[in-house]
Amino acid sequence: MAQVQVYQPFRRGLPKVLPYFAQVWRRRSFVAEYSRSELRAQNFGSLFGQLWLVLNPLLLALVYFILIIVIGGDADGRRFAHLTAGLFLFYLVTNSLTMGAKSITSGGKLILNSAFPRFVLPLSATVISFFKFLPTLVVLGVISAVLASPVSINLLFLPLILALTLLLSLALALLFATLNVYFRDTKNFLPYLTRAWLYLSPVLYESSSLSPSLAPLKVINPLAAFIDAWSGIIVNGSAPRANAWLLMIGWSVGLMLISLYLFLSREREFALRI
Amino acid sequence: MNLHSVSEVHQAGERAVTIRDLDLTYITTVEKKTTFRQALTRTGRKTRQVRALQGINLEIPYGSVLGVIGSNGAGKSSLMRVISGIIPPTSGKVEIAGKVSTLLALGVGFNPRLTGRENVILGGLAAGLSRAEIESQFEEIASFAEIGDAIDSPMKTYSSGMYSRLAFAVSVVVEPDILIIDEALSTGDAKFKKKCLERIKSLRSHNRAIIIVSHALATINDICNDVLWLNQGKIMMRGEPGPVIAAYKESLQVATSPSADEDV
Repeated sequence: MAQVQVYQPFRRGLPKVLPYFAQVWRRRSFVAEYSRSELRAQNFGSLFGQLWLVLNPLLLALVYFILIIVIGGDADGRRFAHLTAGLFLFYLVTNSLTMGAKSITSGGKLILNSAFPRFVLPLSATVISFFKFLPTLVVLGVISAVLASPVSINLLFLPLILALTLLLSLALALLFATLNVYFRDTKNFLPYLTRAWLYLSPVLYESSSLSPSLAPLKVINPLAAFIDAWSGIIVNGSAPRANAWLLMIGWSVGLMLISLYLFLSREREFALRI
Repeated sequence: MNLHSVSEVHQAGERAVTIRDLDLTYITTVEKKTTFRQALTRTGRKTRQVRALQGINLEIPYGSVLGVIGSNGAGKSSLMRVISGIIPPTSGKVEIAGKVSTLLALGVGFNPRLTGRENVILGGLAAGLSRAEIESQFEEIASFAEIGDAIDSPMKTYSSGMYSRLAFAVSVVVEPDILIIDEALSTGDAKFKKKCLERIKSLRSHNRAIIIVSHALATINDICNDVLWLNQGKIMMRGEPGPVIAAYKESLQVATSPSADEDV
């Protein structure tokens, strides 16, 4: 006798979390396969192919560097290293957010015709953004070796910061995936939102140069602490302070808990909404 | 034809699906998609309660082919989605003894930028199959679908016929205990349709449970041994194909129209 599955009504609230994530774990090869296929499809047939994954962020950094020169910042090598470090990390987060926002609404057929934990779709968005981010680490390595301060032991903090950044990226993917199911306009606002967020984050400038009236941004902006810490290590070799760690952990874990609750308590309704 | 031997795991008559007092109600906005603008100007927003299924009691044994008929909006697809575990019931209980495969269930074609092969693999993985399971059956899926080299082209280049061939191939080859086919035979040509019907009959003789949703009454009459007629979310009649189909046609008052029999 095969196993018997029982489908019963659900109340608002969370599904049983452990069995749910056991199901997610069973789908891990889906996430891997989806990311691989998607990356292949995105670069398939273009002249530079895989090279775009490196070229794209590099060209972007150059464009913003020109902007800094034109508006008259001190455009030296250190500044360029800070810009690329911050920009690449920023795009890791916003790529995950943007792809995550569309992950549920564009997964229509799969969601309507298949029973599986929907969590794997935004998760795939984060994984794909991470794979797009990886080649930029090489670029960043070269740039910082040439332009920034010598290698320090504090580089060992980078994986930890990256892990927290990924947690934040996933949280945002989940949050915006849910929002976009209920408000289809969300994805239309995203280009403006991410652009404004870039200017509010210490990417084109450094946190230390913010005027005192704008100082609260360092706390309110979830990404500020991440970019400061990331670039601080790469450019200056200085370790993040305790309050920076608190901010990073607070934002990533806090936002994750909220997003996870929203997503999991709503996902059984997605099939009716798309 | 016997493309591969179907293993028998169930006894005929053993219960595959048991549904008790199933209700499915959901609220939908009249506007197809909600947007911020409508949310802000809530006054203009109309919602409509849809009672998709009401008081459904149903048992489906292994070894049977159940045809589900009814006019558009009768709740056929909703019932299939509840049986597949995609939509939870509003009240009542559904028990499934076995592995369900919905046609298109394997999510084939969910991402048109990806190739047929990638979509088949992704759909299978999402449905909970292992990579090895899918890969061991992939050749058979491709040969059943008969779409040749197109399997490695992006699915946005597929015709609707190629699309449904691939979807059908996936859902019958993965050896489901319970197979649900939701109005999907419609785009195949006559030869492929015949092959599909043979495959369905072979699954039936191996004691699988098969549910077919279709408007093709002639096909239903031909391959089903049990027919369920749904109307406005309620069961109107259940039983032998002949009488149920006759009653359904009677209600539509199209008994004499040849278009009702026409194969989908």
